[in-house]
Amino acid sequence: MPLDTSTTYPLTKLRLDGRRWNELRLLQAQISTNPASSGSSYLAMGNTTIMCSVHGPAEGRRGDATGGSAGSSGAVVEVDVNVAGFAGVDRKRRAGGSDRQSSRIATTLRAAFQSHLHTYLYPHSTISIHVSVLSADGSLLAAAINACTLALVDAGIPMPGLLCGCTAGMSGSASTPRDPHNDELDPLLDLSLPEEQELPFLTVGTTSSIPVGENAMDTDEEEMKVSMLNMDSKVHCSYVETMLAVGIDGCKQIREIMEGIVKGSKRLR
Amino acid sequence: MKSLRRDVSADPHAANVTSKVFVRSTKSGKVQKIVRELYLRQDIPCSSKLCSTCPYLAPTDANGNIAPFVLSDQPAGTSDFPRGHYLVPDTNALLNGMDLFEHTGAFYDVIILQTVLEELRNQSLPLYNRLLSLIKTDEKRFYLFFNEFRLETHVRRAQDESINDRNDRAVRAVATWYSEHLRATIRKGKKEKSIPAIVVITDDKDSLRKAKDEGVTALSLPEYVASLDDSDRLLDMINESREAREAKGARGELFYPEYYTMSKLQTGLRAGTLHQGVFNVSPYNYLEGSVNVAAFDKPLLILGRENSNRSIAGDAVVIEVLPKDQWKSPSTKIVEEETVTKNDNPDAGDTEAVVTERERRALQEEVKQAHGRNSEGKPQPTAKVVGVMKRNWRQYVGHVDSGSTGQAASGRRQQTVFVLPMDKRVPKIRVRTRQASELLGQRILVTIDAWDRDSRYPTGHFIRSLGELETKGAETEALLLEYDVQYKPFPKVVLDCLPAEGHDWKVPASKDDIGWKGRRDLRDLLICSIDPPGCQDIDDALHARPLPNGNFEVGVHIADVSHFVKPNNAMDLEASVRGTTVYLVDKRIDMLPHLLGTDLCSLKPYVERYAFSVLWEMTPNAEVVSSSFTKSVIRSREAFSYEKAQKRIDDASQKDELTESMRTLLRFSKILRQKRMDAGALNLASPEVRIEADNDEVGDPLTDVKTKSMLATNSLVEEFMLHANITVASKIYDTFSQTALLRRHATPPPQNFEDLTNQLSKKRNMRLDVSSSGALADSLDKFVDPENPFFNTLVRILATRCMTSAEYFSAGAHAEPEFRHYGLASPIYTHFTSPIRRYADLLVHRQLASAIGYEGENGRAQVEGVMTRNRLEDICRNINYRHRNAQFAGRASIEYYVGQALKARGEKMSSDGGDGGIEEDGYVMRVFENGVVVFVPRFGIEGVVRLEDFVLPGDSTLRSVEERRELIVRRESDFDNEEYTIHVSDKGQTDKNRGMTVELFQRVKVNVSSVKEESGRGAGKRRVRILVLGGAK
Repeated sequence: MPLDTSTTYPLTKLRLDGRRWNELRLLQAQISTNPASSGSSYLAMGNTTIMCSVHGPAEGRRGDATGGSAGSSGAVVEVDVNVAGFAGVDRKRRAGGSDRQSSRIATTLRAAFQSHLHTYLYPHSTISIHVSVLSADGSLLAAAINACTLALVDAGIPMPGLLCGCTAGMSGSASTPRDPHNDELDPLLDLSLPEEQELPFLTVGTTSSIPVGENAMDTDEEEMKVSMLNMDSKVHCSYVETMLAVGIDGCKQIREIMEGIVKGSKRLR
Repeated sequence: MKSLRRDVSADPHAANVTSKVFVRSTKSGKVQKIVRELYLRQDIPCSSKLCSTCPYLAPTDANGNIAPFVLSDQPAGTSDFPRGHYLVPDTNALLNGMDLFEHTGAFYDVIILQTVLEELRNQSLPLYNRLLSLIKTDEKRFYLFFNEFRLETHVRRAQDESINDRNDRAVRAVATWYSEHLRATIRKGKKEKSIPAIVVITDDKDSLRKAKDEGVTALSLPEYVASLDDSDRLLDMINESREAREAKGARGELFYPEYYTMSKLQTGLRAGTLHQGVFNVSPYNYLEGSVNVAAFDKPLLILGRENSNRSIAGDAVVIEVLPKDQWKSPSTKIVEEETVTKNDNPDAGDTEAVVTERERRALQEEVKQAHGRNSEGKPQPTAKVVGVMKRNWRQYVGHVDSGSTGQAASGRRQQTVFVLPMDKRVPKIRVRTRQASELLGQRILVTIDAWDRDSRYPTGHFIRSLGELETKGAETEALLLEYDVQYKPFPKVVLDCLPAEGHDWKVPASKDDIGWKGRRDLRDLLICSIDPPGCQDIDDALHARPLPNGNFEVGVHIADVSHFVKPNNAMDLEASVRGTTVYLVDKRIDMLPHLLGTDLCSLKPYVERYAFSVLWEMTPNAEVVSSSFTKSVIRSREAFSYEKAQKRIDDASQKDELTESMRTLLRFSKILRQKRMDAGALNLASPEVRIEADNDEVGDPLTDVKTKSMLATNSLVEEFMLHANITVASKIYDTFSQTALLRRHATPPPQNFEDLTNQLSKKRNMRLDVSSSGALADSLDKFVDPENPFFNTLVRILATRCMTSAEYFSAGAHAEPEFRHYGLASPIYTHFTSPIRRYADLLVHRQLASAIGYEGENGRAQVEGVMTRNRLEDICRNINYRHRNAQFAGRASIEYYVGQALKARGEKMSSDGGDGGIEEDGYVMRVFENGVVVFVPRFGIEGVVRLEDFVLPGDSTLRSVEERRELIVRRESDFDNEEYTIHVSDKGQTDKNRGMTVELFQRVKVNVSSVKEESGRGAGKRRVRILVLGGAK
């Protein structure tokens, strides 16, 4: 591939796939794709495709130690992530168990949704989420968050607002301190796989409370909360603020799209 | 269940998303299918200043800026396109004519397509990089147009369409779109007439035809160039190889074996049956190469053209070891391409054989040699080149071989000539030119395009002429190009980084000024500098003063360059590319702009300057009690030359404080030196001479050539600089355990010394102990020949050549024991004391400033020293390379100067009726079967002496080059490889006394002169000729 972000981006201001810095990939999604589950969704962010189904809330499993202790006050969220062998460029034969990448995603998702959902409504029960990655092309965690949110909405599990995830990266020499005299910053929104492999990036998940009360309709400005932040790569601290701002802005865009999907879907049940 | 397929119809944007699918194979042989999204858009501007709509559509980057529009509103026209034109070259045009596109006389307003750039990158990385830098410069107005991302110009590959055809179609699609777009959007007020033509440049015949059908203006590169002014010169710059290959077609008699396929090479390398290394060529024998590979201690030999298989010195090659019966010992013969292949005809592509008879004979003799001495039996493993991983071709400076131009050199007929590169290790290059007659006698720059199996010599093309041979300008530029020295004047962006005050810059008077922050006031110290006479860039100054407790405070003060050169600005980047200041005899190529180097940073006497000081408290026995580092302000009291300082110290009547402090310094330096020597530091020697260019035309020009003399004051400065460097090195290593910039000198492996040890034990019955640097230093001290005072120096020179060279590295790259500096016998070392002329020192300054917690004017000095290891390693690689080249360039410059001085002297003497030579003492450094290498310390030069250049008894030194050359057929030699002696005599002469015997390390009388080859292949080339007159006792 002739264009790589680190060398040609400053020259072109166009990314590998022809996007500008602040453009999302094409995001498409459907909900209620799997009638056999309580709630389900199918979501594609560019070439990253994820299928998600939610079962529950159901009665807590017998002999589940964690479910027993923590579940007394509310439902326990279980997340299971499976990255299909054909999802990447090379076909991987996975021996049943989960690998490091998928278990990390699962842990992060569990932590995010455990605290996000109104679990106190369902004591002694379990909400289990199954995420299947059909095709991986970057921003896996973000796409998984979005897919889960949609599936949970489909399942009718109460939550304060939509939890939306998005990635933001930084091109250029992000490992050296930022030069205050030279304010050129090159943040990127919604990274694809080649970009992820090359640049430092973070995944941010935001939520907004659904306005309640009398003056809810008056305020245009919605309250945004960062409820999840994850970064695996190294970047100098002076860039984080910019990346975060770009990521949050991306989340906002994603939420609008997702709200459209939720509102537009015709539930037949 | 619903279908989960992507529903495209629902989303209005979805139509603009397409995908790019391609297949690639990995190193391990797997095939991967890659699918990437492609978002097509309509906001990619045409970037023409004529366009009225694009400026409003053009998108902004994250900071809200629009990229400036590139293409001129008044593009240049040619006779064919009077209204001006924009060029759209395809990949082949760029491959064949990159030099043309870089030419400043033509080729402006060029639209480079993304498709083309991608294809170019796959074909040739160097060309891709050159094109990128062209796009980045403003003056040539190259615009990179992202045609693949623009909706209108995106082209889908059709079924059964080859990728080349598809790319060609993309180029035409862009041309069509541009024409229509410009017609539609051109600014009002401009007449219809002013729409520039869009001209596609392609060398593909098929594409030219299709363009005609589609109504796109398309020309081949030669067609286009022919319509420009100055077309003859420009036409020469088109890459020859492709055209030639097409022309030759099936004619090929193949001279060289084919390279293995890449996968076979990879497999072999992994299996350990093939080896990879860099191809080196022996300076004495152009047919003998060697490759150092990781698997073996000693380099493998590559003998002959067939085995070296089209590799050129510097290429990264893959080699295969030959069967044992083909092993040979390294050549004991001097073979020069010029003399062996004198009569090759550059045009005779058909009849030429890869190994001429003469070459073959030369090789056969060597084989016989090796086999004959099998009793002694040390043939060495040989190998052949089976593949080239990476070509390291560059641009070569050379001159046209006058013998290779046709008889009717007049006229504009295109002919093929040979260009002889200055670098002896590079084969001659075949170049086609229309201006052969003009290029004769000129230094020219050429590049190699290809070396095909059916061509005996590499094919190249002409780039530009540097000027007449032997003119100062041309030769200096040639030197700089040959050693890759960046000699262009500093660009404006760099000069913009200088302080606005210029020469009027002063240390702020008020101590409250921000510049004083964190600086100590050392203005009252009696500081002085000692440098070579006429030195302008004074890096360092010293002082010493007694302390009340009986100890002494000793200080080394270094110019505070890091105050003026801030990291990552244009000046810093330029300096990091240049790496070092290069000193030629009559020219200095500065690393930093003049204003800084010779004024603001330079620690000139009587003025206040910023400095970075290292202060020690020392006992009277030069034991260091404590050391400290600080940024400071100093005022140097005096700038001495070495001689003046020596005189002042020696003058007993001088009793002032400054002189006293210098005496203290001298005393301390002697103690420090002794300590260093006791620790096992080496006293190395290199054959250096100094040129004092006073340029009084009257005197003998050779008096300017002086061997370097060592005064006590030289070593005074040197000792303290070494001491400061070592102190700083351990300080920055404490703070930056991974990224401290250090300098190491690896312990040379003992086998490097094998030859020298053998020679010494045989000829002098002396043992060279190389077990450690201390042992080596001791044994070197013992090599004294009372009759031959220079012998010791000679051995030191030879020993130095056996060693590896010192290098910069980042601390994380090696384990701590590997930090050792072998020559200085110091466990850790760096360069701190010359930041004006070395980039490494500047970085070390920043690291030290950061290490001592200096904040600087803006509080950023703390982070300025911080750097990632990767970046630092890149920098190290560059400065090591620049440092080495700077040394080579300096030496070559001195050599050239000596040659010129000899020539001037020769001309003067011949006008007086005398002979052009000068008699000197020389020393035999190496003995070959057909000649010797003699070193002449007086001029610091070494030269090959061939059989005909031995002046036998009864012979005269007055013979001309041609007369001497004829002698060769009558001369014979008797070479004893074991005793390192050669006996030269006339053929048929049995009387032993009539011949001459020369042995290794012997002192001989030589006659040195500068001669010009009058005829034959090397005609017009000047060289220093050394004639051996006889042994000197």
